[in-house]
Amino acid sequence: MIRRLLDAVAGRLSPRTVQNLRSEFDTSPLTKIGVGILVVVLVTAVFAPLLAPWNPEAQNLDRSQQPPLGFTSAENQTTQETVDGEVQLIEETVQVNATVTHPLGTDGLGRDMLSRVVYGARTSLAVGVLGTLLAMLVGVPVGLVAGYYKGRVDDALMRVADVSLAFPSLVLAIALVGLFGQAAVEVPDPLVTTGLAAAIRGIVSLPGGLTYPTGMPETFTLPGTVILVVGIVNWVWFARVARGEALGVRDEEYVKAARSLGGSDQFIIRRHILPNSITPVLVLATIQIAAIVLLESALSFLGFSGTTLSWGFDIAQGRQYQTTSWWIAAMPGLAIVLTVIGINLVGDWLRDALDPGIEGEGGGV
Amino acid sequence: MGSFGRFLLKRSLQGVVVILGVISVLFALRYVTPGSPVDFIAPLDASDATRRRIAESLGLNQPFYVQYGDYVVSLLQGEMGYSYRSRTAVAPRVFAKLPATLELAVAATVVAVILSIPLGVISATRRHTGPDYAATVFSFLGISTPNFWLGVMLVILFAVQFGVFPTSGRPVGLLDALGHLVVIAGPERGWALPLNVGPFLAAMQNWLLHVTLPAITLGTYFTALITRLTRSGMLDELGQGYVQAARAKGLPTTLVRYRHALRNTLIPVITVVGLQLGTLIGGAVITEAVFDWPGLGSLIIDAINNRDWPLIQGSLVVIGAGFVVVNVVVDALYVRLNPRVLE
Repeated sequence: MIRRLLDAVAGRLSPRTVQNLRSEFDTSPLTKIGVGILVVVLVTAVFAPLLAPWNPEAQNLDRSQQPPLGFTSAENQTTQETVDGEVQLIEETVQVNATVTHPLGTDGLGRDMLSRVVYGARTSLAVGVLGTLLAMLVGVPVGLVAGYYKGRVDDALMRVADVSLAFPSLVLAIALVGLFGQAAVEVPDPLVTTGLAAAIRGIVSLPGGLTYPTGMPETFTLPGTVILVVGIVNWVWFARVARGEALGVRDEEYVKAARSLGGSDQFIIRRHILPNSITPVLVLATIQIAAIVLLESALSFLGFSGTTLSWGFDIAQGRQYQTTSWWIAAMPGLAIVLTVIGINLVGDWLRDALDPGIEGEGGGV
Repeated sequence: MGSFGRFLLKRSLQGVVVILGVISVLFALRYVTPGSPVDFIAPLDASDATRRRIAESLGLNQPFYVQYGDYVVSLLQGEMGYSYRSRTAVAPRVFAKLPATLELAVAATVVAVILSIPLGVISATRRHTGPDYAATVFSFLGISTPNFWLGVMLVILFAVQFGVFPTSGRPVGLLDALGHLVVIAGPERGWALPLNVGPFLAAMQNWLLHVTLPAITLGTYFTALITRLTRSGMLDELGQGYVQAARAKGLPTTLVRYRHALRNTLIPVITVVGLQLGTLIGGAVITEAVFDWPGLGSLIIDAINNRDWPLIQGSLVVIGAGFVVVNVVVDALYVRLNPRVLE
């Protein structure tokens, strides 16, 4: 299925499309920024065990709530001192300075924010990409069938879509996750289990004689229910776009020809309707990844995701320290904004270059 | 019946079908959810006989189509069952939370419309100038920012650091505040209206202080979205022949821009905003969580954490049905503003 999809994509890319993509890329600085951001986020997500300075789960209460580089924070400390044989409590305000070892500061349990932000990229992209794929696998066939057969089949499927659209996606998602629980899958991290990460980290030396901590988490938590749910919640957009395309293609001469030659419906949908509907679906997929990244972060923020290594989860943590340590909530949020901007810019690029005639933006959580 | 009437009838019937679908889906969801309702109600050491009695009192021993029928009939009578947790009726609780959510949604929409339309017009009429770039950057950021994070940041900045606004809560409702103005008249107190202006202003100020940050949090995405739509719509319209004709006739530029171009721009804006109302409600849920705003969203999240299914079901029915109704209204409005689509 996926193989066929990729072939369809490659087969559909006419030289003119490639030319459009290229010239749009060359002339638009925003596109370059978007692609750049996306590449950085992707590399960060894949090579997290190499790039994160610390184990993102390692706690160190002696170093909790350290500010990011360039900032200082005031902390009230109470110390016990014995003066003339009496124990006295002395309250004083201490300036806490940032350290190079924790460039983005630390959270309330002394975990390194930079490492958490790096690992958070994995969760966001995994859910964004897998959730979008699932939504596509459900929505595109439904839409193609509805558009190809028209009539009763179409009416029935589109009413189902209407019902699905009657629930705001976030509300539906929290209801489903709440009801079905928060099953998560522990996926072994090949970079760590093979010892590759530790070996590479052992070679690299940091300036100032700092040791480069090894010992990264051996598994990565994939929030399974969340992926399923965001797929279920978002299939309907793919169904609508695919249906629109199928409606446009079904009466083309070549489809009629295939039908009169005795081609089965299944064959015609697969061979003619699908490849000719694929461009808008791909543009929609880009926009949907951004929407699902935002949806995932919202679910994690509300505590419904089943993983504790997520940007949304960290923002919720940061809320508890909002009076003392703003960076705990600020840093993961900036990561989300940057990622979504990157995806949206790439989406704009594809839309402008391929001109599929759909509007919309990945956003809205 | 005119063509508009026919359209309205057809669209309303469609809406009813969808609402029925919403109700059915919510009914079916309980069947696929792990765990029986009896587990949530019965004490852990309940005997089988007790559990059977509870199941009977909930109608769970009936075949599913009887249960479904009962469920639909009681919904039509405005009943949504009883909470597993508190044993109180669901419907009054859901409707008691509705004003807070509606207030927040309306406040956010007001913020969005007031800011975005002028911003979009300025952006379009002064293309490629500083304000245009600023508006474009703003709207791109607004669309890409998760609103709950924006809310947390606004709290840190304006409530914690500067102390301008309270961090959370809603001590006074808008209706309570307005109540100071209207309740007084009546035969028993005489028909004279001693307007309680003092308490009214105090309550309004309190409400405004509490609603400002949540409204900005919820409204930013829509401000950004409508700014973009207005900008591109205005650019399209300003290039049209009728605009040039109006100018050539010697009409003032402002008049042409606002009476002619902006009016036509607003038609697609209304449709998109209507389609995004679901996002508005979803956004309200999470905004309520950030600001401890006591609305439907907080109710749903509590209900889900308690696995209180009747309460979840009731809230979702209200949200789903409300959304369908609003969509029908938006469609009708769209056709009224743009009668060409009927032909």
